[in-house]
Amino acid sequence: MLNNIKEIEISEAMFETDNFPVISSTTLLKEAIEEMTKYNIGIACIVDKKDLLGVFTDGDLRRLLLSHQKPFPALFNDDVSTYMTKNPSVIQKSSSIFEAMNLINEKKIWDLPVVENKKLIGLVNLHTLVKYINKK
Amino acid sequence: MHSNTISVGYGSVNTVKIGSTEPLVFIGGPCAIESKEHAFKVADMINKICDKHSIPWIYKSCFDKDCRSSPDSYHGLGLDGLKILSEIRDEFGCPVVSDFSNPAWAEPVGEVCDMVQVPAYLCRQTTILKGAAETGRPIHLKKGQFMSPWNMKNSVRKIESYGNKQILLTDRGTFFGYNMLINDYRNFPIMMETSYPVCFDATHSIQLPTSMGNISGGQREFIPTLTRAAAGAGIHALFMEVHDDPDNAMSDANTQLNIKYLENVLVQAKTVHMTRIELFNKLGEDDVK
Repeated sequence: MLNNIKEIEISEAMFETDNFPVISSTTLLKEAIEEMTKYNIGIACIVDKKDLLGVFTDGDLRRLLLSHQKPFPALFNDDVSTYMTKNPSVIQKSSSIFEAMNLINEKKIWDLPVVENKKLIGLVNLHTLVKYINKK
Repeated sequence: MHSNTISVGYGSVNTVKIGSTEPLVFIGGPCAIESKEHAFKVADMINKICDKHSIPWIYKSCFDKDCRSSPDSYHGLGLDGLKILSEIRDEFGCPVVSDFSNPAWAEPVGEVCDMVQVPAYLCRQTTILKGAAETGRPIHLKKGQFMSPWNMKNSVRKIESYGNKQILLTDRGTFFGYNMLINDYRNFPIMMETSYPVCFDATHSIQLPTSMGNISGGQREFIPTLTRAAAGAGIHALFMEVHDDPDNAMSDANTQLNIKYLENVLVQAKTVHMTRIELFNKLGEDDVK
C-alpha cells in the first residue's frame, strides 16, 4: 500500500472546502478562532473569492499572543488578515500523497492547503493522511 | 499612517477633501439652527476667517436636537431648518452637515446635506446607520462616548454593507466615570486602521455630560490645548461648535466656542497640522514597533 502513495493524487485524501474554515480577509480574528474551534482544526484559510491569500494557524495565534500587548477586545476586533501568514506552504492538486507527507515533514507543519491554479480546493493534514493510509 | 480621502460637497458648492495629506478641514457652526438670521450671521463670520486663512470648511448646524437632557430644552426648528441650510449652501458655496437621528429623515436630509452626521449616542444603531448610508452622502460618524475606538469598525462595516464608503470618524471624548469625559489620542491611529480619515470634536470633548442636573456643563478653557494635541496626533478635520454669544445659545451653551476665539484656534490647528505633514515628509512616518 505504502508504495502506492507516490501515485495517488492528494485530492483522494483531502478535506473539501466545506469541511474546514475558509474565511475572508475581513473576518474578525475572534470569528476566525471561532471557526477553527467549530471545525476542531488548527488552521483557517483566508481567501478572496477562491484565491488563497494566506492562512491563520494555532501557531500564528500563539505567536500573536506573545508578541502583542493589545487588550483582547481590540485584538479580537482586528481583521484576521492582519495576522495571517502570507504565501503559506501549499500543495498542488496533482501532487501525490507522498509529496504531501514529505512537505509536511520538511516544513514541520500540520496542515497543507491544496490548490489548483492558486485557487483553494481542499486541505490535508497529518490526521487526514494517517486516516487515509490506515483505511487502505 | 495614511487614510483614504473622502470628498464632501455636491452640485455647485466647493468640494472639500478630507484625509491623507489634504489641508486640515474645519467643520463647524452653531450647535442648533436658531434662526435664519443667526445661521447666516455665524456662517458669514466663519467664511471670512476660513477664507482669510485658506481653510476648507463645512457648515454644521442641527435642525433637530434629539439628544437634549431635558424635554424643556430647545429641540430645534425641525425639518424647516433644512431650508436654511440649503440657503447657506447657496449663499456661501460651502457644504453643509447636520445631525441624523431618525431614519425617516433620510430623504429630506439627503436632498439638502452634503454630509450626514450620526450622533455619538446613536453610533451603533443599525437602523440609523442604514438610513444615513442610503442617503448616498458621506457619513460623519461620531465615536460614542461609551465605545472603544476598535469597536467603531463594527459601525463602519455596517455603513459599508449598505453601500456607502465615504466615512469620517470623529472622537468627541470617552466617558471617564459619570459626568466626565477624557480624550484618548490613541483613538485616532486606531480608528484610522479602518482606512478612513479622522476628526476631533473639540467642543464636545470638553463637555461635562449632564453635569448640571438637566443640562450639560463644559470647560471651554481646554479647547485650545486639546485641539493642538489632536492636530499633532494626526487628525484630518477639526469639528467645533461656534457661537457669537455662547452663554445665551439655545443649546450647548456651556461648550460652544465663542467665535471671537475661532481664528486663533484654527490658525494654531492648521499650523500644527502642516508641521506634522512636513515632519513626516522630512523624517518619514511613525514606524515604531
